Amino acid sequence: MDGVVQLQKQLVDYIASLFHEGFLDEQFNQLQQLQDESNPDFVVEVVSLFFEDSERLLNELAKALEQKTIDFRKVDAHVHQFKGSSSSIGAHRVQKVCIAFRNYCEEQNVEGCLKCLQQVKHEYSLVRNKLETLFQLEKQIIAAGGSLPAT
Amino acid sequence: MLLLPILLIPCWYAMVNRVEHQVKNWNSNEFHSMLMSEIENKAKFLSPINSSATNLARILGSSLNGTALSFSEIETKVAPVLFQELSTIPYLSQISYFGLDGLFFSYYTDGNQTLAMYTNSSFFSAPNGRENYIWLMQDVDIETGKLYGKAIESRPWTMANASWFQEALNNKHGSASLETGWNNAQDLLFLNSARLNRGVLSLGFPVKTLTTIFTGVDYHGGSLYLATQDGKMLVEGLPKTHTLLASNVSCTMKDGTSRASTLTIQETEYTFYCLPLDIVGVQSVYVLAVPQNRLVSLVHKNKKVALLLLLVVIATMIGSFLGFVFIIVRAARGEMHLCAALIKQMEATQQAERKSMNKSLAFASASHDVRASLAGLTGLIEICYVEVIPGSELATNLRQMDTCAKDLLDLLNSILDTSKIEVGKMLLEEDEFDLAQLLEDVVDLYHPVGMRKGVDVVLDPYDGSILKFSQVKGDRGKLKQILCNLLSNAVKFTSEGYVTVRAWVRKTSLQNTMIASKRNCLPCLFYKNSQAYNDFETMDAALKDPNVMDFVFEVDDTGKGIPKEKQKSVFENYVQVKETAIGQGGTGLGLGIVQSLVRLMHGDIGIVDKEIGEEGTCFRFDVLLTICEIVSCNNVEAEQLEMGVGTHLLGLSSQTPSPEMTIRTPSPGLCARTASSKSTIHSPSPKQKASHVVLLIQDNERRRMSRRFMENLGIKVSVVKQWQHLSSTLETITHKQNHSHHNSLVKSYFYSPSEYLSRSATSNSITVEKDVPLSTMDGSDYILSVFRRTTPRCASSFILVVIDACAGPFPELCRSVTEFRRGLNNTCCRVVWLEKPMMRIINCKGIAETMMEPNDIIISKPFHGSRLYEVVRLLPEFGGTLLGNMGKMKESLSQVGKMPRDPSSSQGPVELPDHGSSSEIPRKKILSPIENLSHFKPKSRSPLNHGHLPQEQESKELFLSGKKVLVADDQALLRKVTVSRLLRLGATVELSENGQEALELVCKGLSDQSKCGTSKILPYDYILMDCEMPILDGYKAAEQIRKIEKHYGVHIPIIALTGHTGGEETKKIIEAGMDVHLSKPLESEHLLEAIRYIDNKWSCV
Repeated sequence: MDGVVQLQKQLVDYIASLFHEGFLDEQFNQLQQLQDESNPDFVVEVVSLFFEDSERLLNELAKALEQKTIDFRKVDAHVHQFKGSSSSIGAHRVQKVCIAFRNYCEEQNVEGCLKCLQQVKHEYSLVRNKLETLFQLEKQIIAAGGSLPAT
Repeated sequence: MLLLPILLIPCWYAMVNRVEHQVKNWNSNEFHSMLMSEIENKAKFLSPINSSATNLARILGSSLNGTALSFSEIETKVAPVLFQELSTIPYLSQISYFGLDGLFFSYYTDGNQTLAMYTNSSFFSAPNGRENYIWLMQDVDIETGKLYGKAIESRPWTMANASWFQEALNNKHGSASLETGWNNAQDLLFLNSARLNRGVLSLGFPVKTLTTIFTGVDYHGGSLYLATQDGKMLVEGLPKTHTLLASNVSCTMKDGTSRASTLTIQETEYTFYCLPLDIVGVQSVYVLAVPQNRLVSLVHKNKKVALLLLLVVIATMIGSFLGFVFIIVRAARGEMHLCAALIKQMEATQQAERKSMNKSLAFASASHDVRASLAGLTGLIEICYVEVIPGSELATNLRQMDTCAKDLLDLLNSILDTSKIEVGKMLLEEDEFDLAQLLEDVVDLYHPVGMRKGVDVVLDPYDGSILKFSQVKGDRGKLKQILCNLLSNAVKFTSEGYVTVRAWVRKTSLQNTMIASKRNCLPCLFYKNSQAYNDFETMDAALKDPNVMDFVFEVDDTGKGIPKEKQKSVFENYVQVKETAIGQGGTGLGLGIVQSLVRLMHGDIGIVDKEIGEEGTCFRFDVLLTICEIVSCNNVEAEQLEMGVGTHLLGLSSQTPSPEMTIRTPSPGLCARTASSKSTIHSPSPKQKASHVVLLIQDNERRRMSRRFMENLGIKVSVVKQWQHLSSTLETITHKQNHSHHNSLVKSYFYSPSEYLSRSATSNSITVEKDVPLSTMDGSDYILSVFRRTTPRCASSFILVVIDACAGPFPELCRSVTEFRRGLNNTCCRVVWLEKPMMRIINCKGIAETMMEPNDIIISKPFHGSRLYEVVRLLPEFGGTLLGNMGKMKESLSQVGKMPRDPSSSQGPVELPDHGSSSEIPRKKILSPIENLSHFKPKSRSPLNHGHLPQEQESKELFLSGKKVLVADDQALLRKVTVSRLLRLGATVELSENGQEALELVCKGLSDQSKCGTSKILPYDYILMDCEMPILDGYKAAEQIRKIEKHYGVHIPIIALTGHTGGEETKKIIEAGMDVHLSKPLESEHLLEAIRYIDNKWSCV
C-alpha cells in the first residue's frame, strides 16, 4: 500500500510540475474533471486523438512548407487547427508557439515559419513524452490497486 | 596617606630615642644615688635606736644610787624597766643587765614567747665559785613581766671577758657589736650596750628584722649586700657572690663618697656602689650592685620590637587600604561602564521604538495609498473588460491582470492588517451571525481545495454545543479570516490524511479569567495604545456578562507538523518554518495576524500537543462571543410549541424513572470524545426498535466523525469500510430485522430511554438559557436539544443507508442496495447517496431510473454540517417521514435547528403542499453545496424550482438538464471534449462532423417536430457550431439553418466556436446569423454565460 501512496504522491507532484513548467494549463484540469467512472479513459482517449491529429497536421505543415510556392492560407489553416486542438487539451506551450507561427504566416515569413515548425515539433514531442509518462504513472497506480488522486 | 606614617615614624623614633637617652642618663646618675639615699634614709630611721641603750642606762642609773646592786634590787628595780623597754622599743628582741659581779637579768623573745634569763648568784656568792654559777630561764607573763613557771637551768655565757662588755664598761657612749642571742635559734643580734653602775645594760636587735628594712626596698633589678666592717656578711645580694665580692670589691671610706666599680657576673655587667652604714651603732658596709644598662637595654630592645610592630601595622594598614581603594575603583569603573552602556542601550531602544512606530504608521498609510491605487487598477481593468470583445486575447489578459491585482490586494490586505494591529487601530466590528453556518461555509470552501490534493476536510460537530449556541454576536469577518487562514495552512501543508475542524462552547471559567487577567498585566508589552488598554477593561466587563461564552475552535491536520522548538515562533510575524514551507510561498504573516486577531477577541491561540506517533499539527484557539438573547427566546417559544404537541409524552415518561440521568457525565468538553462510553449510555437497548444507520464512507476520519455523532444521538450505526463488505453487512441486517420484527410488533409503542432523555434535556434547556450553569449540561444534550424528537408513527424500524457513491463501482453498490430492499419485508428503508460535487455519476448513468428508488436522496459532498444534520432528521425519531417529504426536509434544513419543526410534520406523512406539480418530475433531490450556502436567500429555499426557472438557478450542475444540444465539429478531439462537457452539464447531445451534417440533422428534426404537431418545440435547444469545417463551414451552415427554420417560425440559438479572436471573425459570425461567439477552448463558464445571454434575449422577445 505504501508503494501506491508513493506513486500517488509522485503523480500529484508530477502533474504539479507540468503545470508549473507551463506544459499544461487549466484546460487539462478540466479535461481530467470530465473523466469519471462512466468514462474512465477519457483523458487518454482525448490525448491520443490529439497525438494523431498533431502528427497528421505536422506532416502536412512540413509538406506545405517544402513546396516552392508556399500556400500560406493552407499553412495558416493547419496551424489554426493545431492551435485549437492543443489548446483544447491544454498543451500550453504548443499553443503559444502556434500563435507565433500564425503571426509569421500572416507576414508570409518563410524562415520564421520554418523556425516555428521546428519549435512546434520540439514542443509537441516534449509534451507528448510528458503526457505519456503521466499516463504510465497512472497505469502503474491502477495496476497496484490504488485509485487515482482526485483532481 | 603615606605621608602620615612617614612623618610619624621618625617622630616616634626620635621620641623613643629621647626616652632611651633619658633612661640612660637617669640610670647612670640618678638611679643609684636615689637608691643610696633611700638606704641612708632607712639607716637614719634606725639611728635613734643607736643611743637607746645609753639613754636607758642614764635613766636607770639616775634612779639607782651608783652602788652595786643586789639581785633583789635588780629584780625589783631594774627588771620592770627592762620589761617595759622590751615591750616598747621597736625591733627589740632581747634586753639584759649584766652586773660586774655576775648578777644578770635578761628578757628576750623567742618566737611569740617572752622569756627571762637570769642568775641570782654572783661569782662571788656562789660557794663553788664559778662552777656553781648558773643561769636560770623562766617564762614571763607578757602582761606584767612577772616570772612564772619553773625555772630551767641553762649554761651561763661568759660575758665579763667579752670585748663588747669591756668596751661598754669603758666607753661612756656604750658599744655596739654583733653577737648571737640566747634564744634557741641563736639569732644574730645587734647588741647595743651601755654601762649602768657596776654593770652593763644591753639591748639586742635582731639582724634579720633590721636588714629586712633594707632588703624590702625595690632596687630595680639591683641587689644589696650588707656586711659589717669586720667582714661579717649580713645580707647577700646575689647568691654565692660574696666571696667574689670580698676579693674584688674594696670599699674605701675616704671622704665618705662612694666609688663605683664594675664587675661582670653571670654575663651581666653590674656596677657596684660601696658605702658605709651605721646600724644600731654597728659600723657596717653595704654594697649596691646595679646591673649596668639593664633598663636601657630593655628600652632599646623594646624600641626595636615596637618599631618593627609599628612598621608591620602600618604596612598592613597601607596594604589593606590600597586593596580597598583598588576594589572600590574597579567597582566604580565597572558601574560606570554599565551605566554608560545602559544609557546607550536605552537610547538605542527608544530610537528603535520610535523608528518602528514611525515605520508602522508610514507603512499603514502607505499600504492604504497602495490599496487605493490597486483599487483604481482593478476598477480600470473591470471597465476595460466590459469594453473589450469577450473571448478575445485581450480579455484573457485582462482577466489574468484582474486575478493578479486581486492576489496583490489580498497580500496587501494581510500586510495592512498586520500594520494596523501593530499600530493598534484594529477594531472589532460586531454583529450577529450564525456561527454554525460560518463554520460550515469555511469548511465547504476548503473542501474542494483539499479534495484536489486528496485531503479530506471534515467538520466535526463534536458535542453539538455550537449548534445550540450558534446565533452569536461578534466579528464575523475576522473570525472567518482566522478560520480561513488556519484551514488554508492546514490544507496547504497536508498532503495526505484529513483536516478536521471542530468547535465547542464552554462557560468562561475561572481559569480562563485568570489567564485573561494574567494577560492583563502585560498590556504595555503588547499595546502601546491606551485605547487598547481600555479594551482590556471592557474585556473584564465582558467576562462577567453571563451571555458571554468561550468558543473553542480546533483545526487538526495530519500534515508534516511543526517541530516543537518552532511552535512558539510560528506566531511571530514573517516567520516560516523552513523545512515545511519550501515551495509553498506566503509571507509568513498569516499566523501572526491570526494571533493578533484572536487576542483582539479576548482569546488565545496555541498549538495543542499531539500524542506521540500522531502526525500533524493541531491549532486551538478560543474567542469570547456574546450569545444572542433572541435565540434563547426563540428556543423557549420553540419548546412551548413542542410541549403543546408532546405533553402526553412528558406525562408518560415522567412516571418512569430514568437511570440515564444519573450516568450523565458533568463535563461537556472532553468526554464527548470518548464516543464508546457515550454510546453505551445513550444507545437504546437492543430490544427496542431504533433506527439503524448503515454508513459506507471512504474517508476514515469522516466515517469516524459521522458515526460518533450519530451514536451520541442514540442511533444504532453500522459501519462499512469497503464497498465489498456492503452487501454482506446489509444481508446480516436484513436477517436480524426480519427476525426481530415479530417481537417488535408487541413493543412497537415503547419509548426508548434516549427519547426520554431528549425530552428531559429539552425541558432542561428552557431553564438553562437563564441561569443553570453550563457545566451541568452534557455534551449530548446540546445535540439532543437541537434535534427535537418526535414520536415515530411507524411502528416498524427504519433503516437508513448512507453510501459514498465514489466508494466503489456504482452499479455494484446499486445492486447490493436493491437486493437489500427486496429482502426487507416490513422495514422502511431509505438510501442517501453521497456524491462529489461536479461529478454526476448517478445522473450520467442510464441506470439511475431503473436502479434507484424514487425516495433515494442524493447529497453532494462534503457530508457534514447541515447536510449531516439533515440526514439525521430523515430518521423517524427526529421527525423524518417515511415517504421522504423533501419539501419539509428542506424547510427544516433552512432553519438549521433553531426553529421548531412545524408541528404538522410529526403527524404522519404529509402531502406535498407547495409543490403540487413536483410529483410529475422525477424525485431526484439534489442538495448541492451552493444551495446550502444560499439559505439566507428566500428565493432559493425551494430546491425544485430549477425545473421551472433555470436562469435563477445558481447551480451549474444541471444547467442543461433536459436540453438537447447539437454539436458540429470536424475535429474528433474537440468534439469529444465538448460532448463530455455538455453531458456533464446534463444535456443530451447529438453530433455532426461538418456543417452539412448539422444542417441535415436540423432539417430532420424540424420536420419531425412539425409532424408531431408541436412545432413550437425546438428540435435542438442549442447548436454549438465550429466555424471552420470541411464540406460546409460553420458560417454557411448557420445561414442555411436560419433560412430553413424560418419556415417553421422558430429560432434555434446557434453558438459559434472559433479559434479566432479577432473582431473580423465576430463580424462574420453575426452576419451569418449566429447568436453568440465563443472562442476555443470551450469553457463551461463561458458557455453558461452565453446560454444565459441567449435565454434572456429570447425570453424578452
